[in-house]
Amino acid sequence: MQEVRGNMSHVDDGTLHAYLDAELTPVERARLEAHVAECAACRNRLDEERALLERASGLLGLAQPPERAAPPLHELRRPSVVWRLRVPVAWAATVLLALGLGYYAGDRPDVSPAPEPVAMRSADSSAAATRLADRLAYRATPPRAQTPPETRPLAAAERKEAERQPVMVVDGAPVSAQLDTVPVGAGAANGVVAIRSRDTGAANAAPASAPQTTRAALPQRTREEVGVSSAIVQREDDRRALVATQWPIIRRGPARQLLGAEPMGVPGLAVRNIRRSPTGEVVLVEQAIDSVTVIQLFQERAENDQFGGVQVRGGTVGTERLARFIGGVRVEIAGPLSADSLNRLLEQVKPIGP
Amino acid sequence: MPEDLAEIYRSTYRSLVRFLYRKVWDAERAEDLAQEAFARALVHKPENARGWLFVVAANMARDDARKAARERRHLTLLKSEPDAVHSEPEDRIDADAKRERVHTALDLLTPRDREALLLWDAGMSYDEIATQTGLARGAIGTTLARARRRLVEAYDAGSEGQHVARG
Repeated sequence: MQEVRGNMSHVDDGTLHAYLDAELTPVERARLEAHVAECAACRNRLDEERALLERASGLLGLAQPPERAAPPLHELRRPSVVWRLRVPVAWAATVLLALGLGYYAGDRPDVSPAPEPVAMRSADSSAAATRLADRLAYRATPPRAQTPPETRPLAAAERKEAERQPVMVVDGAPVSAQLDTVPVGAGAANGVVAIRSRDTGAANAAPASAPQTTRAALPQRTREEVGVSSAIVQREDDRRALVATQWPIIRRGPARQLLGAEPMGVPGLAVRNIRRSPTGEVVLVEQAIDSVTVIQLFQERAENDQFGGVQVRGGTVGTERLARFIGGVRVEIAGPLSADSLNRLLEQVKPIGP
Repeated sequence: MPEDLAEIYRSTYRSLVRFLYRKVWDAERAEDLAQEAFARALVHKPENARGWLFVVAANMARDDARKAARERRHLTLLKSEPDAVHSEPEDRIDADAKRERVHTALDLLTPRDREALLLWDAGMSYDEIATQTGLARGAIGTTLARARRRLVEAYDAGSEGQHVARG
């Protein structure tokens, strides 16, 4: 700040504005006022600057958005507000929600409903579990360091729990699918669970289009057998964390090597990043739909997938619609969009050339 | 949810919307982005939430502006009148024209001057503006003085051409 003591020097514009903005310290303020009291020139300038300031404020006031009430803060977690343009609830979410609410009805009162599953895979083996854990660890990675210790991705106990093979009975029929739930980022507040639907060969007996009846028919025993230790639904928070990935970014060349093929993407969408999983088996292509929406295409060599033969599209188990084989690559899509939207995007996926 | 964030939401939401509005020039989009920023703050729980929110919001607005450059102009023309006091069509047209001139005038400022001015108008202190913009605290007054002067000059220069039409 320029010296403003006495008549020795005049006051610069910046100081005058700081004075008018009440941003001078008391000492500076007193000096300026003392100077202005004696200096007619600076007094005039102060008046001019005050007029200028008011004029500028008035002009900015012409460019005001309409006053509208702010939605309650807690509602911002809900996709209907934040993802205003999306169709928030996909059938798959309904399955998860139904299962989750059913399961949690007893002892987890603070589970909040959330729209979409984290990941849906057709695979079942420890190798696949490792890859899934890989993926989930990534997804659950909190964007900031200040997370409580219990939010560590996949604690050992949780992993063990993840290996349980609970049996789901649908409409009293024999097992048509097995659910393998892997809690990640455990703790009721940050629970992320991926459900991997396992096709046991009788997939057609489990019409994915009737998730509500699935819930209704779930016997209590079964619900308890679904060894979920955390919220079964993924919350908006966690979904946002998807974007803040921690997987290392790689270039297209290494991605091509990992996949044995060109990495896949939706034509016309900007590729934000190409990443690889810590184990190096999965390549992740992130593409931006808009400034706040990123879809993720997890891809790996088809031979890595233990259930390579599963029909991934066209009406078997519904969860499989979110994955697809293209050439020798299995591509799985995830993102804050409805299953329908993801499906449509998935249909467009093809190798993205250099 | 953190108490302080709830408080910041109450005290800052409108300011953030206003700040964003003058960047994206679309009221609904500004609200969406402001809500998005707060939703992210709920997740990230930043220490200096207020400053963080404005940084995130500014970044989102910049991304958004790039994407929406084409449609923005159209949307701005279609938007309902912000200045609800004036309901007469002529007044509305007049207000639209004025807002458009303010928009144009703001665009003529340097990014740094504009940012400082918008942050000040959003209720930030000199200290906060300094943190936000990387300017020295002592330079904020000078920056704002220059920004205000240029805004007024640019606005007046822009309105000269329309003086006759406005009467």
